Amino acid sequence: MVTIAFKDLAKTNAAKRGMPLQRIVFTPHPVWGKTDAEMYAYLEGNDPVSGKPLMPEVVGDLTRPLAPDESKSGVVTPPTGAPSYTDTSDNLQQYYLDNGMTDFMPIILPTQEKVDAMLKGTSHKPDEVVGKMTPAQGAFPAWSFTVQQVAVNAVMAGATPDYFPTLLAIASTGISALFSSTNSLVSAAIVNGPIRDKLQMNYGIGAMGPFNQPNAVIGRAWTLMSKNLDGGGIAGETYMGSQGNIINYNNLIVPENEKDSPWPPFHVQKGFKPTDNVVSFFFGFCITQGQGGRGLGVKPIPQYHEAMSYNAGPFASLFGALFLLDPLVANGLVELGYKTKDQLADWLQKNTTISVKDVKSMLFSGLPRGPEAANLTDDSIVPKWQRPDAFNFVVVGGQTNPYHQLANMSYRVSSSIDKWT
Amino acid sequence: MINRRKLLGLMGASPALLAAATAEAKEKKAKVKDGKASTMEPKITALNPRGMPPPITLIPMAPRLSTLDGKTIYLISDGFPGADHFLAQVAIWFQKNMPSVKTVYRLKAGGFADDDPKLNAEVKANGQGVIMAIGH
Repeated sequence: MVTIAFKDLAKTNAAKRGMPLQRIVFTPHPVWGKTDAEMYAYLEGNDPVSGKPLMPEVVGDLTRPLAPDESKSGVVTPPTGAPSYTDTSDNLQQYYLDNGMTDFMPIILPTQEKVDAMLKGTSHKPDEVVGKMTPAQGAFPAWSFTVQQVAVNAVMAGATPDYFPTLLAIASTGISALFSSTNSLVSAAIVNGPIRDKLQMNYGIGAMGPFNQPNAVIGRAWTLMSKNLDGGGIAGETYMGSQGNIINYNNLIVPENEKDSPWPPFHVQKGFKPTDNVVSFFFGFCITQGQGGRGLGVKPIPQYHEAMSYNAGPFASLFGALFLLDPLVANGLVELGYKTKDQLADWLQKNTTISVKDVKSMLFSGLPRGPEAANLTDDSIVPKWQRPDAFNFVVVGGQTNPYHQLANMSYRVSSSIDKWT
Repeated sequence: MINRRKLLGLMGASPALLAAATAEAKEKKAKVKDGKASTMEPKITALNPRGMPPPITLIPMAPRLSTLDGKTIYLISDGFPGADHFLAQVAIWFQKNMPSVKTVYRLKAGGFADDDPKLNAEVKANGQGVIMAIGH
Protein backbone atom coordinates (compact mmCIF):
# COMPACT_ATOMS: atom_id res chain seq x y z
CA MET A 1 0.00 0.00 0.00
CA VAL A 2 1.47 3.32 -1.12
CA THR A 3 0.17 6.86 -0.86
CA ILE A 4 -0.72 8.35 -4.24
CA ALA A 5 2.08 10.95 -4.08
CA PHE A 6 4.51 8.11 -4.76
CA LYS A 7 2.57 6.48 -7.61
CA ASP A 8 5.17 6.86 -10.34
CA LEU A 9 8.04 6.18 -7.98
CA ALA A 10 6.46 2.96 -6.70
CA LYS A 11 5.60 1.59 -10.14
CA THR A 12 8.86 2.41 -11.87
CA ASN A 13 10.99 1.33 -8.95
CA ALA A 14 9.17 -2.00 -8.76
CA ALA A 15 9.87 -2.43 -12.50
CA LYS A 16 13.54 -1.49 -12.14
CA ARG A 17 13.85 -4.03 -9.35
CA GLY A 18 12.41 -6.81 -11.47
CA MET A 19 8.74 -6.84 -10.53
CA PRO A 20 7.00 -4.61 -13.11
CA LEU A 21 3.55 -5.95 -12.28
CA GLN A 22 3.85 -5.80 -8.52
CA ARG A 23 0.38 -5.38 -7.07
CA ILE A 24 0.18 -1.97 -5.46
CA VAL A 25 -2.90 -0.41 -3.91
CA PHE A 26 -2.84 3.36 -3.53
CA THR A 27 -4.29 5.43 -0.72
CA PRO A 28 -4.92 9.16 -0.61
CA HIS A 29 -1.97 11.23 0.57
CA PRO A 30 -0.78 11.91 3.21
CA VAL A 31 -1.29 9.49 6.08
CA TRP A 32 1.11 11.42 8.31
CA GLY A 33 -0.83 13.85 10.50
CA LYS A 34 -4.23 12.29 9.81
CA THR A 35 -6.52 11.13 12.60
CA ASP A 36 -7.44 7.48 13.04
CA ALA A 37 -10.92 8.25 11.73
CA GLU A 38 -9.52 9.96 8.63
CA MET A 39 -7.23 7.04 7.90
CA TYR A 40 -10.05 4.54 8.40
CA ALA A 41 -12.10 6.58 5.94
CA TYR A 42 -9.30 6.07 3.41
CA LEU A 43 -9.77 2.31 3.84
CA GLU A 44 -13.52 2.57 3.36
CA GLY A 45 -13.05 4.66 0.22
CA ASN A 46 -11.61 3.96 -3.20
CA ASP A 47 -8.08 3.50 -4.49
CA PRO A 48 -7.52 6.93 -6.15
CA VAL A 49 -5.65 5.31 -9.04
CA SER A 50 -7.85 2.33 -9.91
CA GLY A 51 -11.08 3.83 -8.62
CA LYS A 52 -11.93 0.49 -6.97
CA PRO A 53 -12.95 0.02 -3.32
CA LEU A 54 -9.62 0.05 -1.52
CA MET A 55 -9.66 -2.83 0.97
CA PRO A 56 -11.50 -5.30 -1.32
CA GLU A 57 -8.76 -4.50 -3.84
CA VAL A 58 -6.13 -5.40 -1.23
CA VAL A 59 -7.85 -8.68 -0.48
CA GLY A 60 -8.20 -9.37 -4.20
CA ASP A 61 -4.50 -8.70 -4.81
CA LEU A 62 -3.63 -11.25 -2.14
CA THR A 63 -5.96 -13.94 -3.49
CA ARG A 64 -6.30 -13.45 -7.27
CA PRO A 65 -4.22 -16.09 -9.12
CA LEU A 66 -1.12 -14.83 -10.89
CA ALA A 67 -1.25 -13.99 -14.59
CA PRO A 68 1.53 -15.56 -16.72
CA ASP A 69 3.45 -12.25 -16.96
CA GLU A 70 3.50 -11.98 -13.17
CA SER A 71 5.48 -15.23 -12.97
CA LYS A 72 7.98 -14.24 -15.61
CA SER A 73 11.72 -14.66 -15.00
CA GLY A 74 14.81 -13.73 -17.01
CA VAL A 75 17.10 -10.75 -17.46
CA VAL A 76 16.44 -7.55 -19.42
CA THR A 77 18.68 -4.59 -20.14
CA PRO A 78 16.90 -1.24 -19.81
CA PRO A 79 17.23 0.93 -22.93
CA THR A 80 18.70 4.41 -22.60
CA GLY A 81 18.26 5.68 -26.14
CA ALA A 82 20.43 5.83 -29.24
CA PRO A 83 24.16 6.57 -28.88
CA SER A 84 23.67 9.83 -30.79
CA TYR A 85 20.97 12.02 -32.31
CA THR A 86 21.07 13.90 -35.63
CA ASP A 87 18.92 16.95 -36.38
CA THR A 88 19.09 20.73 -36.62
CA SER A 89 20.51 22.64 -33.68
CA ASP A 90 17.11 23.96 -32.57
CA ASN A 91 15.47 20.56 -32.82
CA LEU A 92 18.26 18.94 -30.85
CA GLN A 93 17.97 21.55 -28.10
CA GLN A 94 14.27 20.74 -27.92
CA TYR A 95 14.94 17.00 -28.00
CA TYR A 96 17.37 17.09 -25.07
CA LEU A 97 14.95 19.30 -23.14
CA ASP A 98 11.87 17.17 -23.88
CA ASN A 99 13.67 14.01 -22.81
CA GLY A 100 14.78 15.29 -19.43
CA MET A 101 18.48 15.48 -20.21
CA THR A 102 18.90 19.17 -19.30
CA ASP A 103 18.31 21.52 -16.38
CA PHE A 104 15.64 23.18 -18.56
CA MET A 105 18.05 25.81 -19.74
CA PRO A 106 19.81 25.75 -23.11
CA ILE A 107 22.82 23.48 -23.35
CA ILE A 108 25.95 23.29 -25.45
CA LEU A 109 25.17 20.49 -27.88
CA PRO A 110 27.64 17.66 -27.23
CA THR A 111 28.99 16.98 -30.70
CA GLN A 112 31.71 14.38 -31.13
CA GLU A 113 34.19 17.17 -31.87
CA LYS A 114 33.43 19.01 -28.62
CA VAL A 115 33.45 15.79 -26.61
CA ASP A 116 36.81 14.80 -28.13
CA ALA A 117 38.20 18.19 -27.12
CA MET A 118 36.88 17.66 -23.58
CA LEU A 119 38.52 14.25 -23.41
CA LYS A 120 41.90 15.93 -23.97
CA GLY A 121 41.50 17.35 -20.45
CA THR A 122 42.37 13.95 -18.94
CA SER A 123 44.82 11.14 -19.58
CA HIS A 124 42.15 8.57 -18.82
CA LYS A 125 40.70 6.56 -21.69
CA PRO A 126 37.17 7.43 -22.92
CA ASP A 127 35.79 3.95 -22.21
CA GLU A 128 37.19 3.72 -18.67
CA VAL A 129 34.41 3.22 -16.12
CA VAL A 130 34.57 6.15 -13.70
CA GLY A 131 32.14 4.90 -11.08
CA LYS A 132 28.54 4.28 -10.15
CA MET A 133 25.81 6.73 -9.20
CA THR A 134 22.27 6.41 -7.92
CA PRO A 135 19.63 9.04 -7.11
CA ALA A 136 19.37 7.53 -3.61
CA GLN A 137 21.55 4.83 -2.13
CA GLY A 138 19.60 1.64 -1.60
CA ALA A 139 16.41 2.96 -3.15
CA PHE A 140 17.48 2.86 -6.79
CA PRO A 141 19.90 0.58 -8.64
CA ALA A 142 23.21 2.33 -9.32
CA TRP A 143 24.18 3.06 -12.92
CA SER A 144 27.78 2.95 -14.12
CA PHE A 145 29.33 5.49 -16.48
CA THR A 146 32.46 6.09 -18.49
CA VAL A 147 34.91 8.97 -18.92
CA GLN A 148 33.24 9.76 -22.25
CA GLN A 149 29.77 9.94 -20.71
CA VAL A 150 31.06 12.40 -18.10
CA ALA A 151 32.64 14.39 -20.97
CA VAL A 152 29.30 14.60 -22.80
CA ASN A 153 27.67 16.12 -19.71
CA ALA A 154 30.65 18.44 -19.18
CA VAL A 155 30.24 19.82 -22.71
CA MET A 156 26.50 20.27 -22.23
CA ALA A 157 27.12 22.36 -19.08
CA GLY A 158 29.60 24.65 -20.85
CA ALA A 159 32.79 23.30 -19.29
CA THR A 160 36.21 23.68 -20.84
CA PRO A 161 38.72 20.80 -20.90
CA ASP A 162 40.71 22.19 -17.97
CA TYR A 163 37.63 21.76 -15.75
CA PHE A 164 37.35 18.11 -16.72
CA PRO A 165 39.55 16.49 -14.01
CA THR A 166 37.49 18.27 -11.34
CA LEU A 167 34.28 16.95 -12.90
CA LEU A 168 35.70 13.44 -13.08
CA ALA A 169 36.69 13.67 -9.40
CA ILE A 170 33.11 14.69 -8.57
CA ALA A 171 31.60 11.94 -10.71
CA SER A 172 33.95 9.29 -9.34
CA THR A 173 32.45 9.64 -5.86
CA GLY A 174 29.04 8.60 -7.19
CA ILE A 175 27.45 11.39 -5.19
CA SER A 176 24.31 12.69 -6.86
CA ALA A 177 23.59 16.39 -6.38
CA LEU A 178 19.90 15.55 -6.78
CA PHE A 179 19.53 13.05 -3.96
CA SER A 180 15.98 11.77 -4.00
CA SER A 181 14.28 12.50 -0.72
CA THR A 182 11.06 14.31 0.11
CA ASN A 183 13.29 16.77 1.98
CA SER A 184 14.64 18.77 -1.03
CA LEU A 185 18.24 18.20 0.02
CA VAL A 186 21.29 20.04 -1.28
CA SER A 187 24.93 19.23 -1.91
CA ALA A 188 28.13 21.22 -1.65
CA ALA A 189 31.60 20.72 -3.11
CA ILE A 190 34.57 22.47 -1.51
CA VAL A 191 37.51 22.93 -3.89
CA ASN A 192 41.03 23.18 -2.48
CA GLY A 193 44.53 23.36 -3.91
CA PRO A 194 46.33 25.24 -6.69
CA ILE A 195 43.67 24.23 -9.23
CA ARG A 196 41.46 27.03 -7.89
CA ASP A 197 43.88 29.58 -9.30
CA LYS A 198 44.67 27.55 -12.40
CA LEU A 199 40.96 27.54 -13.30
CA GLN A 200 40.61 31.14 -12.09
CA MET A 201 37.83 30.16 -9.71
CA ASN A 202 36.37 32.91 -7.59
CA TYR A 203 36.89 32.57 -3.84
CA GLY A 204 36.64 36.32 -3.18
CA ILE A 205 33.79 38.80 -3.63
CA GLY A 206 30.59 37.02 -4.67
CA ALA A 207 32.25 33.60 -4.66
CA MET A 208 28.99 31.71 -4.16
CA GLY A 209 27.00 33.78 -6.67
CA PRO A 210 26.77 33.81 -10.48
CA PHE A 211 29.95 35.81 -11.04
CA ASN A 212 32.49 33.31 -12.33
CA GLN A 213 32.53 30.69 -15.08
CA PRO A 214 34.19 27.66 -13.41
CA ASN A 215 32.26 28.12 -10.15
CA ALA A 216 28.99 28.19 -12.11
CA VAL A 217 29.74 25.59 -14.76
CA ILE A 218 31.28 22.95 -12.50
CA GLY A 219 28.15 23.11 -10.37
CA ARG A 220 25.85 22.95 -13.39
CA ALA A 221 27.72 19.97 -14.78
CA TRP A 222 27.21 18.17 -11.45
CA THR A 223 23.46 18.65 -11.78
CA LEU A 224 23.45 17.39 -15.39
CA MET A 225 25.55 14.38 -14.40
CA SER A 226 23.11 13.71 -11.57
CA LYS A 227 20.28 13.55 -14.11
CA ASN A 228 21.92 11.66 -16.92
CA LEU A 229 24.52 9.33 -15.45
CA ASP A 230 22.12 7.65 -13.02
CA GLY A 231 18.62 8.29 -14.37
CA GLY A 232 18.03 10.76 -11.53
CA GLY A 233 16.23 14.07 -11.31
CA ILE A 234 12.89 12.93 -12.72
CA ALA A 235 10.36 14.74 -10.54
CA GLY A 236 7.90 12.25 -9.08
CA GLU A 237 10.02 9.23 -9.91
CA THR A 238 13.68 9.61 -9.08
CA TYR A 239 13.39 12.98 -7.37
CA MET A 240 10.81 13.44 -4.61
CA GLY A 241 11.76 16.74 -2.91
CA SER A 242 8.42 18.28 -2.05
CA GLN A 243 9.42 21.86 -2.83
CA GLY A 244 12.72 21.38 -4.64
CA ASN A 245 15.72 23.56 -3.91
CA ILE A 246 17.06 26.45 -5.97
CA ILE A 247 20.60 25.47 -4.98
CA ASN A 248 20.21 22.34 -7.12
CA TYR A 249 20.54 24.42 -10.31
CA ASN A 250 24.29 24.55 -9.92
CA ASN A 251 24.79 23.45 -6.35
CA LEU A 252 27.05 24.99 -3.75
CA ILE A 253 30.52 25.13 -5.26
CA VAL A 254 32.94 26.68 -2.79
CA PRO A 255 36.60 27.24 -3.66
CA GLU A 256 38.21 27.99 -0.33
CA ASN A 257 39.96 31.34 0.14
CA GLU A 258 43.14 29.70 1.38
CA LYS A 259 45.38 32.76 1.11
CA ASP A 260 43.26 34.89 3.44
CA SER A 261 42.42 32.13 5.90
CA PRO A 262 44.23 31.99 9.25
CA TRP A 263 43.75 28.23 9.41
CA PRO A 264 45.01 25.29 7.30
CA PRO A 265 42.84 24.63 4.23
CA PHE A 266 39.97 22.19 4.54
CA HIS A 267 41.62 19.42 2.50
CA VAL A 268 44.72 19.51 4.74
CA GLN A 269 42.41 18.71 7.68
CA LYS A 270 41.48 15.58 5.75
CA GLY A 271 45.08 14.42 5.33
CA PHE A 272 45.98 15.91 1.96
CA LYS A 273 49.02 18.07 1.24
CA PRO A 274 48.48 21.81 0.63
CA THR A 275 49.63 21.35 -2.97
CA ASP A 276 47.09 18.58 -3.63
CA ASN A 277 43.98 19.42 -5.61
CA VAL A 278 40.93 18.06 -3.86
CA VAL A 279 37.17 18.35 -3.90
CA SER A 280 35.31 17.65 -0.63
CA PHE A 281 31.60 16.97 -0.32
CA PHE A 282 28.87 18.03 2.05
CA PHE A 283 25.22 17.06 2.06
CA GLY A 284 22.16 18.21 3.96
CA PHE A 285 19.17 20.45 4.32
CA CYS A 286 19.72 24.11 3.60
CA ILE A 287 21.85 27.22 3.77
CA THR A 288 21.10 30.37 5.72
CA GLN A 289 22.89 33.65 6.11
CA GLY A 290 24.34 34.85 9.39
CA GLN A 291 24.46 38.63 9.27
CA GLY A 292 22.77 38.68 12.65
CA GLY A 293 22.85 36.72 15.85
CA ARG A 294 23.71 36.98 19.50
CA GLY A 295 27.06 38.63 20.14
CA LEU A 296 27.54 40.34 16.79
CA GLY A 297 26.71 43.78 18.19
CA VAL A 298 29.47 43.63 20.80
CA LYS A 299 32.24 46.26 20.40
CA PRO A 300 35.06 46.39 19.49
CA ILE A 301 35.26 42.72 18.45
CA PRO A 302 32.00 40.98 17.58
CA GLN A 303 31.62 37.68 19.38
CA TYR A 304 31.44 35.64 16.20
CA HIS A 305 31.43 32.30 17.98
CA GLU A 306 28.29 33.24 19.90
CA ALA A 307 26.54 34.30 16.71
CA MET A 308 27.55 31.04 15.03
CA SER A 309 26.16 29.00 17.90
CA TYR A 310 22.98 31.06 18.00
CA ASN A 311 22.43 30.77 14.25
CA ALA A 312 22.96 27.00 14.27
CA GLY A 313 20.36 26.68 17.02
CA PRO A 314 17.34 25.95 14.81
CA PHE A 315 19.15 23.28 12.80
CA ALA A 316 18.22 19.61 13.04
CA SER A 317 21.03 17.45 14.35
CA LEU A 318 20.58 14.75 11.70
CA PHE A 319 23.07 16.80 9.68
CA GLY A 320 25.97 18.86 11.00
CA ALA A 321 26.75 22.56 10.76
CA LEU A 322 28.95 23.76 7.90
CA PHE A 323 30.09 27.35 8.42
CA LEU A 324 31.19 29.33 5.38
CA LEU A 325 33.18 32.13 6.94
CA ASP A 326 34.33 35.33 5.31
CA PRO A 327 38.07 35.79 6.02
CA LEU A 328 37.16 38.75 8.25
CA VAL A 329 35.17 36.41 10.48
CA ALA A 330 37.83 33.69 10.48
CA ASN A 331 40.55 36.16 11.44
CA GLY A 332 38.25 37.71 14.05
CA LEU A 333 37.76 34.29 15.59
CA VAL A 334 41.53 33.90 15.86
CA GLU A 335 41.67 37.24 17.68
CA LEU A 336 39.03 35.87 20.05
CA GLY A 337 41.35 32.97 20.86
CA TYR A 338 40.29 30.26 18.43
CA LYS A 339 43.72 29.54 17.02
CA THR A 340 42.55 26.29 15.44
CA LYS A 341 39.34 25.02 13.90
CA ASP A 342 39.34 22.22 16.49
CA GLN A 343 39.21 24.73 19.35
CA LEU A 344 36.26 26.45 17.70
CA ALA A 345 34.47 23.16 17.06
CA ASP A 346 34.96 22.12 20.70
CA TRP A 347 33.46 25.38 21.97
CA LEU A 348 30.52 25.19 19.60
CA GLN A 349 29.80 21.57 20.50
CA LYS A 350 29.69 22.36 24.22
CA ASN A 351 27.75 25.63 23.90
CA THR A 352 25.22 24.96 21.16
CA THR A 353 22.57 23.48 23.40
CA ILE A 354 18.91 22.60 23.47
CA SER A 355 16.43 21.41 26.07
CA VAL A 356 15.39 17.77 26.06
CA LYS A 357 11.79 18.93 25.67
CA ASP A 358 12.68 20.79 22.48
CA VAL A 359 14.66 17.85 21.10
CA LYS A 360 11.59 15.68 21.53
CA SER A 361 9.50 18.15 19.54
CA MET A 362 11.92 18.39 16.60
CA LEU A 363 12.14 16.13 13.59
CA PHE A 364 15.54 14.75 12.73
CA SER A 365 17.03 15.45 16.15
CA GLY A 366 18.26 12.99 18.73
CA LEU A 367 19.05 12.83 22.43
CA PRO A 368 22.47 11.95 23.85
CA ARG A 369 23.09 8.26 24.33
CA GLY A 370 25.08 6.53 27.03
CA PRO A 371 24.85 6.43 30.84
CA GLU A 372 24.13 10.17 31.22
CA ALA A 373 20.96 9.80 29.17
CA ALA A 374 19.28 7.97 32.06
CA ASN A 375 19.27 11.12 34.23
CA LEU A 376 17.80 13.49 31.66
CA THR A 377 14.49 15.24 32.26
CA ASP A 378 12.51 17.44 29.86
CA ASP A 379 14.16 20.51 31.42
CA SER A 380 17.71 19.19 31.00
CA ILE A 381 19.94 21.19 28.66
CA VAL A 382 22.04 19.04 26.36
CA PRO A 383 24.45 19.69 23.47
CA LYS A 384 22.58 19.76 20.18
CA TRP A 385 25.35 17.77 18.51
CA GLN A 386 27.23 15.10 20.40
CA ARG A 387 30.55 15.35 18.57
CA PRO A 388 32.77 18.33 17.68
CA ASP A 389 33.29 16.98 14.17
CA ALA A 390 29.67 17.88 13.43
CA PHE A 391 31.04 21.42 13.02
CA ASN A 392 33.03 22.23 9.89
CA PHE A 393 34.51 25.50 8.66
CA VAL A 394 35.46 26.73 5.21
CA VAL A 395 36.80 30.23 4.57
CA VAL A 396 35.36 31.98 1.52
CA GLY A 397 34.56 35.55 0.57
CA GLY A 398 35.98 38.94 -0.35
CA GLN A 399 36.13 40.73 3.02
CA THR A 400 33.55 43.38 2.22
CA ASN A 401 31.74 42.58 5.48
CA PRO A 402 32.35 40.18 8.39
CA TYR A 403 29.51 37.80 7.65
CA HIS A 404 29.11 34.08 7.60
CA GLN A 405 26.69 31.71 5.95
CA LEU A 406 25.89 28.37 7.42
CA ALA A 407 24.46 25.18 6.10
CA ASN A 408 22.78 22.29 7.89
CA MET A 409 25.10 19.86 6.15
CA SER A 410 27.42 16.99 7.00
CA TYR A 411 30.81 16.11 5.54
CA ARG A 412 30.85 13.06 3.33
CA VAL A 413 34.15 12.45 1.56
CA SER A 414 37.11 14.10 -0.17
CA SER A 415 38.25 13.13 -3.67
CA SER A 416 41.56 13.76 -5.45
CA ILE A 417 41.33 15.88 -8.58
CA ASP A 418 44.96 15.12 -9.48
CA LYS A 419 44.06 11.45 -9.96
CA TRP A 420 41.97 12.49 -12.96
CA THR A 421 44.41 14.77 -14.79
CA MET B 1 16.51 8.22 -17.97
CA ILE B 2 15.11 4.88 -19.05
CA ASN B 3 12.43 4.72 -21.70
CA ARG B 4 9.90 2.94 -19.54
CA ARG B 5 7.65 2.00 -22.43
CA LYS B 6 10.50 0.01 -23.99
CA LEU B 7 11.52 -1.35 -20.60
CA LEU B 8 8.06 -2.64 -19.81
CA GLY B 9 7.80 -4.12 -23.29
CA LEU B 10 11.02 -6.01 -22.70
CA MET B 11 9.61 -7.27 -19.42
CA GLY B 12 6.47 -8.49 -21.08
CA ALA B 13 4.28 -5.90 -19.42
CA SER B 14 1.94 -3.46 -21.11
CA PRO B 15 3.28 0.08 -21.39
CA ALA B 16 -0.26 1.14 -20.54
CA LEU B 17 0.70 0.25 -16.98
CA LEU B 18 2.52 3.54 -16.80
CA ALA B 19 0.40 5.49 -19.22
CA ALA B 20 -0.33 8.19 -16.69
CA ALA B 21 3.30 8.71 -15.77
CA THR B 22 4.84 12.00 -16.67
CA ALA B 23 8.46 12.25 -17.55
CA GLU B 24 9.60 9.27 -19.52
CA ALA B 25 6.55 7.42 -20.78
CA LYS B 26 8.05 7.71 -24.22
CA GLU B 27 11.03 9.33 -25.79
CA LYS B 28 9.61 12.48 -27.24
CA LYS B 29 10.46 13.82 -30.65
CA ALA B 30 11.29 17.48 -31.06
CA LYS B 31 8.67 19.56 -32.81
CA VAL B 32 9.72 21.07 -36.12
CA LYS B 33 8.28 24.57 -36.10
CA ASP B 34 8.95 25.42 -39.73
CA GLY B 35 9.52 22.45 -41.97
CA LYS B 36 10.99 24.44 -44.85
CA ALA B 37 13.32 26.50 -42.73
CA SER B 38 14.41 23.46 -40.80
CA THR B 39 15.37 21.51 -43.90
CA MET B 40 17.57 24.42 -44.93
CA GLU B 41 19.48 24.31 -41.66
CA PRO B 42 22.50 22.05 -41.41
CA LYS B 43 22.03 18.93 -39.35
CA ILE B 44 24.47 18.01 -36.65
CA THR B 45 25.02 14.93 -34.54
CA ALA B 46 25.12 15.11 -30.75
CA LEU B 47 25.92 12.36 -28.26
CA ASN B 48 23.73 10.69 -25.65
CA PRO B 49 24.71 11.83 -22.13
CA ARG B 50 23.16 8.91 -20.26
CA GLY B 51 25.00 6.37 -18.15
CA MET B 52 24.50 2.62 -18.18
CA PRO B 53 21.79 1.05 -16.01
CA PRO B 54 22.40 -2.46 -14.72
CA PRO B 55 20.51 -5.42 -16.19
CA ILE B 56 17.26 -6.19 -14.44
CA THR B 57 16.58 -9.71 -13.18
CA LEU B 58 12.86 -10.38 -13.29
CA ILE B 59 11.48 -11.76 -10.03
CA PRO B 60 8.45 -14.06 -10.28
CA MET B 61 5.78 -12.98 -7.83
CA ALA B 62 4.84 -15.29 -4.96
CA PRO B 63 1.84 -17.59 -5.51
CA ARG B 64 -1.41 -16.11 -4.21
CA LEU B 65 -3.57 -17.50 -1.45
CA SER B 66 -6.92 -19.04 -2.39
CA THR B 67 -8.54 -17.32 0.58
CA LEU B 68 -7.57 -15.18 3.55
CA ASP B 69 -9.87 -17.08 5.93
CA GLY B 70 -7.88 -18.29 8.93
CA LYS B 71 -4.65 -16.91 7.54
CA THR B 72 -2.03 -14.75 9.27
CA ILE B 73 -1.26 -11.54 7.40
CA TYR B 74 1.75 -9.48 8.44
CA LEU B 75 1.28 -5.70 8.32
CA ILE B 76 4.74 -4.24 7.84
CA SER B 77 5.69 -0.58 8.14
CA ASP B 78 8.73 0.80 6.35
CA GLY B 79 9.18 3.33 9.14
CA PHE B 80 7.99 6.47 7.39
CA PRO B 81 5.78 8.71 9.53
CA GLY B 82 2.19 7.60 9.72
CA ALA B 83 2.62 4.06 8.39
CA ASP B 84 2.30 2.58 11.88
CA HIS B 85 -0.98 4.37 12.64
CA PHE B 86 -2.30 3.59 9.18
CA LEU B 87 -1.61 -0.13 9.56
CA ALA B 88 -3.34 -0.09 12.95
CA GLN B 89 -6.45 1.00 11.05
CA VAL B 90 -5.91 -1.79 8.52
CA ALA B 91 -5.86 -4.26 11.42
CA ILE B 92 -9.12 -2.80 12.72
CA TRP B 93 -10.65 -3.12 9.24
CA PHE B 94 -9.84 -6.82 9.17
CA GLN B 95 -11.26 -7.29 12.69
CA LYS B 96 -14.51 -5.69 11.58
CA ASN B 97 -14.83 -7.13 8.09
CA MET B 98 -12.83 -10.37 8.03
CA PRO B 99 -12.49 -11.45 11.68
CA SER B 100 -11.00 -14.83 10.78
CA VAL B 101 -7.88 -13.08 9.49
CA LYS B 102 -5.13 -12.72 12.08
CA THR B 103 -2.95 -9.64 11.60
CA VAL B 104 0.54 -9.11 13.05
CA TYR B 105 2.15 -5.66 12.98
CA ARG B 106 5.91 -5.28 12.55
CA LEU B 107 8.25 -2.34 11.90
CA LYS B 108 10.86 -3.27 9.33
CA ALA B 109 14.43 -2.78 10.52
CA GLY B 110 16.79 -0.39 8.76
CA GLY B 111 16.01 2.27 6.21
CA PHE B 112 13.02 2.07 3.91
CA ALA B 113 15.07 0.44 1.15
CA ASP B 114 16.98 -1.98 3.38
CA ASP B 115 16.29 -5.67 3.48
CA ASP B 116 15.29 -7.20 6.84
CA PRO B 117 16.23 -10.89 6.65
CA LYS B 118 15.20 -11.59 10.25
CA LEU B 119 11.70 -10.27 9.67
CA ASN B 120 11.46 -12.07 6.31
CA ALA B 121 12.29 -15.34 8.06
CA GLU B 122 9.63 -14.68 10.70
CA VAL B 123 7.00 -13.98 8.03
CA LYS B 124 7.89 -17.15 6.13
CA ALA B 125 7.70 -19.21 9.31
CA ASN B 126 4.54 -17.77 10.79
CA GLY B 127 2.60 -15.92 8.12
CA GLN B 128 0.86 -16.56 4.85
CA GLY B 129 0.75 -13.04 3.43
CA VAL B 130 2.14 -9.53 3.75
CA ILE B 131 0.73 -6.07 3.35
CA MET B 132 3.50 -3.51 3.34
CA ALA B 133 2.75 0.17 3.86
CA ILE B 134 4.88 3.01 2.58
CA GLY B 135 3.82 5.93 4.71
CA HIS B 136 4.26 9.70 4.60
